[in-house]
Amino acid sequence: MASNKKYWKSVEELGESSAVVDTLRQNEFVEEIPTDEFLGDKETLESSSTSRRDFLKYVGFTTAAASLAACEGPVVKTIPYVIKPEEIIPGVADYYATTIADGFDFANILVKVRDGRPIKIEPNKQVGGATNARVQASVLSLYDSKRLQAPTANGEKISWSAADTAIVAKLNELKEANLPIVFLSGSCASPSTKHLIEQFKEKYGDVRHVIYDAVSESGALDAFEEMYGMRALPEYNLEKASVIVSIGADFLGDWQGGGFEAGYAKGRIPTNGKMSHHAQFESNMTLSGANADNRTRIRPSQEGLALIKLYQAVIGGISTMEMSPLNTAVQKAAAKLKEAGSKGVVLAGANDKNAQLVALAINKAIGSEVINPAVTKNVRRGNDADVAQLIKDMNAGNIGAVLTYNGNAAYTLPNAPEFLEGLKKVKLSVAFTSSNDETASAVQYALAAPHYLEAWGDVMIKTGSYSLMQPTIQPLFDTRQYQDSLLKWMGNDQSFYDYLKASWSTNVLDGASWNQALHDGVYNAPALDVTVEAATVDINAALTALGKQSNSGEFELKLYSKTGMGDGQMGNNPWLQELPDPITRASWDNYLTMSQADAEKLGVKNWHVANGALNGSNVEITVNGSSQVVPVIIQPGQAVGSVGLAFGYGRTNGLKEDMQTGVNAFPFYKGYNTTQTEVSLTLAEGEHEFACVQLQNTLMGRGDILKETTLETFNDHSLDPKHSWNKVPMVTLNHNEVEATTVDLWTKFDRSIGHHFNLSIDLNACTGCGACVIACHAENNVPVVGKAEIRMSRDMHWLRIDRYYSSEETFVEDNEFKDNIDGLLGETGSVQGFAKLEDPSDNPEVVFQPVMCQHCNHAPCETVCPVAATSHGRQGQNQMAYNRCVGTRYCANNCPYKVRRFNWFQYPENKEFDFNMNDDYGKMVLNPDVVVRSRGVMEKCSMCIQMTQATILQAKKEGREVRKDEFQTACSNACSSGAMIFGDINNKEDKVTALKDDKRSYHLLEHVGTQPNVVYQVKVTNKA
Amino acid sequence: MKSVKKHHPLSRLIVCSLAFLLLFSVNLSAQEGDASKGKQLYNANCAACHKLDKRLVGPALKGIGEKRSFEWLKAWIKDSQGLIKSGDADAKAIFEEYNNIPMLGYPQFTDQDIADILAYTDGKPAPAAVSATSDVDEVALAAGKKVFNANCAACHKLDKKLVGPALGGIAEKREVEWLKAWIKDNNALVASGDKLAKDVADSNPAAMTAFPQLSENDLDNLLLYFEFGNKPKKAVVVDGGSNAMYENEKAGVWSTLGIALLAFIVLVVIIAGTLKKLPGEEEHEENLLITFFKNPFLRFLFLIFSILLGVWLLFGWLMQIDVNEGYTPIQPIAFSHAVHSGDNKIDCQYCHSSAKHSKTSGVPTANVCMNCHKSISEYNGPLFDGHTKEELDGEIAKIYDAVGWDADQGKYKEDHVQKPIEWVRIHNLADFVYYNHSQHVTVAGLACQKCHGPVEEMHEMTQFSPLTMGWCIDCHRDTEVDMTENGYYKKIHDQLAEKYGVEKVTEAQMGGLECGKCHY
Repeated sequence: MASNKKYWKSVEELGESSAVVDTLRQNEFVEEIPTDEFLGDKETLESSSTSRRDFLKYVGFTTAAASLAACEGPVVKTIPYVIKPEEIIPGVADYYATTIADGFDFANILVKVRDGRPIKIEPNKQVGGATNARVQASVLSLYDSKRLQAPTANGEKISWSAADTAIVAKLNELKEANLPIVFLSGSCASPSTKHLIEQFKEKYGDVRHVIYDAVSESGALDAFEEMYGMRALPEYNLEKASVIVSIGADFLGDWQGGGFEAGYAKGRIPTNGKMSHHAQFESNMTLSGANADNRTRIRPSQEGLALIKLYQAVIGGISTMEMSPLNTAVQKAAAKLKEAGSKGVVLAGANDKNAQLVALAINKAIGSEVINPAVTKNVRRGNDADVAQLIKDMNAGNIGAVLTYNGNAAYTLPNAPEFLEGLKKVKLSVAFTSSNDETASAVQYALAAPHYLEAWGDVMIKTGSYSLMQPTIQPLFDTRQYQDSLLKWMGNDQSFYDYLKASWSTNVLDGASWNQALHDGVYNAPALDVTVEAATVDINAALTALGKQSNSGEFELKLYSKTGMGDGQMGNNPWLQELPDPITRASWDNYLTMSQADAEKLGVKNWHVANGALNGSNVEITVNGSSQVVPVIIQPGQAVGSVGLAFGYGRTNGLKEDMQTGVNAFPFYKGYNTTQTEVSLTLAEGEHEFACVQLQNTLMGRGDILKETTLETFNDHSLDPKHSWNKVPMVTLNHNEVEATTVDLWTKFDRSIGHHFNLSIDLNACTGCGACVIACHAENNVPVVGKAEIRMSRDMHWLRIDRYYSSEETFVEDNEFKDNIDGLLGETGSVQGFAKLEDPSDNPEVVFQPVMCQHCNHAPCETVCPVAATSHGRQGQNQMAYNRCVGTRYCANNCPYKVRRFNWFQYPENKEFDFNMNDDYGKMVLNPDVVVRSRGVMEKCSMCIQMTQATILQAKKEGREVRKDEFQTACSNACSSGAMIFGDINNKEDKVTALKDDKRSYHLLEHVGTQPNVVYQVKVTNKA
Repeated sequence: MKSVKKHHPLSRLIVCSLAFLLLFSVNLSAQEGDASKGKQLYNANCAACHKLDKRLVGPALKGIGEKRSFEWLKAWIKDSQGLIKSGDADAKAIFEEYNNIPMLGYPQFTDQDIADILAYTDGKPAPAAVSATSDVDEVALAAGKKVFNANCAACHKLDKKLVGPALGGIAEKREVEWLKAWIKDNNALVASGDKLAKDVADSNPAAMTAFPQLSENDLDNLLLYFEFGNKPKKAVVVDGGSNAMYENEKAGVWSTLGIALLAFIVLVVIIAGTLKKLPGEEEHEENLLITFFKNPFLRFLFLIFSILLGVWLLFGWLMQIDVNEGYTPIQPIAFSHAVHSGDNKIDCQYCHSSAKHSKTSGVPTANVCMNCHKSISEYNGPLFDGHTKEELDGEIAKIYDAVGWDADQGKYKEDHVQKPIEWVRIHNLADFVYYNHSQHVTVAGLACQKCHGPVEEMHEMTQFSPLTMGWCIDCHRDTEVDMTENGYYKKIHDQLAEKYGVEKVTEAQMGGLECGKCHY
């Protein structure tokens, strides 16, 4: 019942009717507000000296004045440690040796750590480490704000202890019920983890370990096991090879884990008149094919046939005289192989045991020294049969628990829907993962794991070579590495670090120092003198099986992994998204590559829109019943009847919106086979916008940009290189033909004192891998601009790798064609002739040419800058003072090499560019020694002046001269193929000094007379 | 190309005219020193390194005017480095004798100032330093304090327990002879079976060092100090006189501006007057100014002049934006560089240890403070800037608060959440400038004061240099690089010396003016 109690403010209210109370009930004030007095009296208002307008003016002025007065410089805090760690000196970088082993990439690396933050990855060259673009970019993935930041149970955050209790209870339950517990992981070559899982087995009974690879090499592993009794991949030392025949193996890409560039490139640089010969048989244009001397286009299903023919020609001595391009090429390759004998090698790409067996058999028959079965690699260990069995068991309800780590099975498995279905039937599903990916959102417990730069670990990449992984930063998030979780669940209170150390001292080190091993990053066990005997294998059976493969569809699909995206685990890495594909030069995209002939047949087109950007048609591709709409890029060199599609795209979980690019190719990866024959294509509606950074596809016979010659010409000592294959452009001076380099508009400048930096780029050694592009990104705080900006040709890469196709079969023929153009019209006329030169040949020759600022001694950009923002240093560097630049862009206009980049926008701290620089975590990767440029200034390659200056300072501090080859730039440091050599040409001992005067060396656009400090080495091919 | 100068144009003009005026006044007055003025100047500028009667950092200055000529002293005080470089033998000898510690230059001193100082240093009326008489023998007390500071202060305080017990008034508790024996060799005393000694030894786990080297006299003095050492002292307040020399410039601005304005008006009047007297012009009774403004040409001239003046003033004003010379923010701790680096002579790089390795000099972390402040929990020096002793002790306690040190217990607190001290950054270079301390400190061997000014005199740290590009460049233009000691420069030096035909090359000749050397 409501209370009848009465509250009053004044006794007046208690009275029956009070005027005051009534008024108050209606109004706030008893008396009326005298508005009339100051508003109604018009006269007074008008006579007032302060009008309403004036009043507003006063208010505006005082507000402005107050805000102006507040315009004081910001107060900057400087916050020291409370207790400084001994090894850190603020402002001085520390380097830690560690190892990346993410299941797809394996490398020994050095991590540059500034003030506790890893900012750059460098190859650990002392132990033969090499890095590719993904390894270089992996440091940015550490600062990925979309990472899994805490453990979750069914999508809800959970504490570690709660997760532990629940999972241990479940595990014990499963042990009671005698249901198997399965670890599903990517290739993990960690000896101590293997040991740990063994112990886990002792504790929990039926524990199995199933290994799978996103891109499987199961066939090669099985073949090697059959022949050599061990399930592993052999080591190939391509440096020793004089003839390399690859049938579908993109060994400069990710074939068998990659990492073959260094050896390959060494063999490709002509020394003493010799270099290796490389014949490639493939359908997609790959990096390996682009670098090959002889490239033969075959449909993917013909790989078997090529292998059989090669086997027959090399071993059986049977050479069929069939008149097909394939047969001719195979016979040529076979002849070369036979000639090379033990210096030859055959590599097969197919994930097929029979194909791999045949390749191994040929290598064995010729006694190849290139392949070393005694040293095996553990970088791919997946077993397709095991995975298939597991998924079957899961769906049958026979599996108790699935624990995944080092992989994203729900995304990379070709039969991911089946896997996800099976996952629902297991009692316990756990994913140890650092990214918030598809698997993490499908399992019961997603346990946040640290990035590899935050974790301890070990990995045996090669037999006898033990690498250590160490944390280089305090964990950013609430993470725990899976080994620690396993230890905890086994009731072991030890940390994994202690476990690892103990395990190493008993199993690995054999008395050697742990600290030394940690310092070096690698411990090499004393080499055991093992001879591996090959078992006799019935090759005929393999040959017969291979021969049965046939194509049935109109088209065939060849799946591949891209240099940038790999298996897709770093999908949220803007550096990799923006890295242009070395062949198509397209970024931020996944697309079908198709030959010109097929495109015409299907009505597929590529065209340029008004602002120069590339657009293309879509097609609907159907593979074994599943179909998707995919854009098409017409790819010169693509085998007719085949199309190519890359893995690693189409991810959505844990990716920023801008990074959700392309289509997912894994559903097409039926039977773990990169070759799919049941393919049909139909033209689909709509058009697709590509972000392609290079629109000029061919060289158009411009031999002054890119010089190429054959090994025979190169070895012909009767020729003067300057007038034959490495022509110096001539100009007329005083009616005499003189070399263009002798004529000069500018006054000479003495550079003999101090340092004079030069960079040499060997076109023979450059494989186009793109590691330098990412290294440059990381070192120089180059912003990512996104797809829309790239379409407007506003890419910011300081270093680009131009890719040129030839219009004829070779570049030499291009030049001849161009030289013979005569007149305007007709067959040989310039109108038709040049139009023809713009079309790449069906199977073009390809050359990669890294171009960055050429640091001209006589730089056209410096002459035109109205504010002298770009000027020349005596050490040979063309310097750019950003704070001086007013953004006229005259310099970019006047640069013959088109290497200057303009900041059209403020890229950092800008919501429109939601990449690493607009992200509190992503910003941690910035190099504090290089300024972050603001809007409206020009920027370009600085020849890493911050690095050369640091080297000089180090020498000064130690009171010594700079050591031989001590100067490095980010790109030369990252180049594992030795194509980029940097140094001081005033130091006779530096490698670059000899290279500068090499007979192969030339400058880009020499006739312009800019005298660049970047020299290129003429490309030499060794055709058969 | 316009180079940015140290001062903006206006102040440059002002300074020039001021200097001109000063020059006049100095030349007119005789070179007679005023000792009392000299004393002021001496205390403000010289006393940090010199004493009258004793060698400190620099030599004793009493009677220096009789040893050296006035001209020589003038040159030395104004720019000792310049004098050394000019090859003066005396200057070199002094520099070497005093461990190559360079004396700061005082170019701001007028000749009169120097004469004043010399009048003070040479004069008899040396202010009474030791003359106070009291019940206690002050000399013995001072000697006792010295012994205490040298031997005991590491572990003892007079009024507080540190490692060992508080020693103030200990003589009232223990017998004098026992104390002396204990100090000389406490182990022997314990071994001799002295019960008291054993008790004392047991009560404290840390064994005391023996001091057999102390004489009887020392011990007497020491005991005297134990007794009277902690009696309250009169607080001495140091005035901020040393800053006077940096403020002169500003004081002159308005007067000079006034003079300029006056001159301008006079000029105007003269022009107007001349105008009026032009031949053929009718005589008017009009105002001069009106006549002036009626003339279109003069009006135009005036307009142009005003615009130019306005632009010039605006440019000068704009150029000083973000030049934060004299920036003295309030710091979270009233840390005095004058006390640490001036009075206690702590080397700059003891705390700023990154300077020799890194681009940043590094603000010392709290654990570096604790190296000394574990045992120094209160401030006993002369008070400054109006702080009381309690306030200053409180400032020291802020370090303890950050690291979690329990001063009473003499150990770190457990479970204390350490928090960093958030200093306010004084020297802020723009992001697009790369500056490296180690290059200047380790390689070039520059003294910190070269850029940071007389830090050892600053109670409150202030930005001494403008840190503008012009300021950097001026130094790079003039500074010769010492290449003799460094193996890196050997080859380059020989080549450059030959090229430029000089003995020593400047930083600019080395390429130190190139944009890219600092902007990347």
